[in-house]
Amino acid sequence: MSGIPTPHLSRRALLLASAATAIAAPPAAEAQTPRPGGTMVMIVNPEPATLATYAVSAGNIPPITTQIYEGLLTYDWDLKPQPLLAKSWTVSADGKTITFKLQEGVTFHNGAAFTSADVAYSFMEIAKKVNPNGPVILRELEAVETPDAMTAVFKLANPAPYLMMSLSSNNIPIICKSVFEGTVPMQNPSANRPIGTGPFKFAAWERGQFVRLDKNDKYWKPGLPLLNRIIARFIPDAATRSAALETGEAHYAAYSAVNAADIKRMQANPILDSTTRGYGTTAATSVLEFNMRRPHLAKKEVRQAICYAIDRQFIVDNILYGFGKPAVGPLSSVFSTSGWFTADVRRFDVANRLEIANKLLDDAGYPRGANGVRFGLHLEINSFGEQWLRQGEYLKQALAQIGINLTLRSEDTATWLRRCYTDYDFDINEPFYSAGADPVIGVHRHYVSSAIRQGTTFVNNKDYRSPVVDKLMDDATRELDPKKRADLYHAAQKQMVEDSPGAWLAEVQYVTIFNKKLHDHTMGPLGTYEAFSRAWLER
Amino acid sequence: MRAALKRFARNRMAVLGACVIGVVALLTALSPLLYPAGAFTLAGPPLQPPGMRYLLGTDALGRDVAAGVVAGARTSLLIGLSAALSAVLFGSLIGALAGYYRGATDIVLMRLTEFFQTIPAFLLAMLLVVILSPSVLSVIIAISAVSWPGIARLVRGEFVALGGREFVLASIGLGASGPRIIFRHLLPNCVSAIIAVGSLLVASAILLESGLAFLGLGDPNVMSWGLLISAGRVTLRSAWWVCTFPGIAILLTVLSINLIGDGLNEALNPRLRER
Repeated sequence: MSGIPTPHLSRRALLLASAATAIAAPPAAEAQTPRPGGTMVMIVNPEPATLATYAVSAGNIPPITTQIYEGLLTYDWDLKPQPLLAKSWTVSADGKTITFKLQEGVTFHNGAAFTSADVAYSFMEIAKKVNPNGPVILRELEAVETPDAMTAVFKLANPAPYLMMSLSSNNIPIICKSVFEGTVPMQNPSANRPIGTGPFKFAAWERGQFVRLDKNDKYWKPGLPLLNRIIARFIPDAATRSAALETGEAHYAAYSAVNAADIKRMQANPILDSTTRGYGTTAATSVLEFNMRRPHLAKKEVRQAICYAIDRQFIVDNILYGFGKPAVGPLSSVFSTSGWFTADVRRFDVANRLEIANKLLDDAGYPRGANGVRFGLHLEINSFGEQWLRQGEYLKQALAQIGINLTLRSEDTATWLRRCYTDYDFDINEPFYSAGADPVIGVHRHYVSSAIRQGTTFVNNKDYRSPVVDKLMDDATRELDPKKRADLYHAAQKQMVEDSPGAWLAEVQYVTIFNKKLHDHTMGPLGTYEAFSRAWLER
Repeated sequence: MRAALKRFARNRMAVLGACVIGVVALLTALSPLLYPAGAFTLAGPPLQPPGMRYLLGTDALGRDVAAGVVAGARTSLLIGLSAALSAVLFGSLIGALAGYYRGATDIVLMRLTEFFQTIPAFLLAMLLVVILSPSVLSVIIAISAVSWPGIARLVRGEFVALGGREFVLASIGLGASGPRIIFRHLLPNCVSAIIAVGSLLVASAILLESGLAFLGLGDPNVMSWGLLISAGRVTLRSAWWVCTFPGIAILLTVLSINLIGDGLNEALNPRLRER
């Protein structure tokens, strides 16, 4: 599907070339020269329900929409902000004013020029009102002033250091004001026919089959993108997805669209390669939540004993097939680059952990009965896939070692969510969270007491109320000095692990499988949540 | 009865089926002695191939597949028998009432039966389990709820055929009550047909249960063949033994019950006696 004619070769050149290849293998450098053209096929799983990325935070939308929409910033491998639609920026000394200078000569796919009015509208009217993360990320944002067409000034009520970490194409996509003005955002015609400034334009969505994206010939970065077309294919069956990659029919699959058990086999395939890079802003962790309203779990000794009873390495090796590492606390070790993570907390992975756990339960006043059982608890099985049932089966065995009889309950997604986040009729829940690029985005809401919001899913459902942690996290939200902010997070982690309102099990390592012919696809920590503007195909 | 047993014994396939079921029942009875730790225990390293140490290998968590197959036999037999039995009891009652009283009762009950028959059985069972939240009891209820209509129609047909016979007319003439005629005179005359069809229901109940467990709708605290297969499906290409053995167990059990059902049908059905 080449759009570029092959360069004309004279007979002599051809002869010379074949002679050269007969003597030596083609030099690697030649294979690494980017070539424009070609169609890349990526697997997105499952098929998104909508492409309205500005209003829905589902993780299967951005692999498509970040090709189309762009944000103000992107991030380098050290998670430092880099220019995208914002050319440069300055943060005032008090942290309450951020001035962005915007990229000139940028146009939307519908031909409209990109100006500061689009930025103001995207933040104040769209992100703040309909983006599910808006209330958290943009809590302090009071106004976006537009002194001229290429300048946007953000006015904050309080310093918000995490804001600069949350401006990627995935977090806050910049939409075209003239398309949205005067419409209901979710019902806007461009919801499923997105119009952005990105390197690829939306072409077609064949439901149940694919989304086709075509090259944006007027893209503002000269010479980019290199690919002519991107096809995002939807294949419901895991075995077929693996087969599509193995036969070369698809070039790219991120976010473990491939079964963990298949990954080792795919890595051995000569036409495929894999990477674990490009998930720097995900920080996905599997956890347990303890309902502290229940008498047994209200006792710290019981919660800690459960934490001691679990062999996290076993979970990583046998449930995640080795794609992860044991978690030690509420912050993922991904945050060690920024200095916020600390491993200096109460460690549950000590050699005599079962002895400690049994002693804690004895001391808490729960002796073993005649059958060796102290008491029983229920575990609510996460309904997003069967690895969670396996984890539940393991946890049942692990807790039996300390005399807790765990009964598993598996229900459909709606019932499970209602039981755990609305009715609070659970003992232990086993959810799975992504922290995002900053703890404020995806960590705080699970532990601060102000996030005990009945009926809202994936917030503090544990009834964990710690004035110490509330204060530390609140201060960390506003602290601009990185050293002081790190200290606050270290103290918060220590306190939370000590209180153990939940158990932190494993940091999940996603794997991207790609065809060796596809190059330059994972160019930063955002991975598949960033446009493939430099990606190219060897042919 | 002895004659019927003799006729059953003459059917070699049915005897073979009975032997297999006998072995399954024996394993079930012996499972506390064979695998005292239970089927969920992490017995050893994960994904060990079948061998001396682990007869049928271990699964992805290191659980003994043999222990799982034995424990699954217990679940399958328990759920299969209780679901089939309750379906037979309920179906016979509905069929008997409709077939004996006819008229409006018949119309109402048969429309109800047809209503249940028109909904795909597996989907209805799934729906019921989801509503009732998965547990052994809810699985039994769901399976019997989708299995009784066949029995009801069968019993009604038999009753309609027997309804005009002299012995029934005589009982009515002697002033016998409806329930007495149904339970003392009519039902015993269709027992052979009910047993034959009921035994086949056990097989379909076991299949239904495995299907539900495979989809994660079984009781998560109880080991079952369907659960084993669904857990092993992910590793099918690297560890064939995890799904294969429970699969074989389902195949043998269901086949054997079908053979027994055929044998019973031949032994008890007077019309087939001459063969």
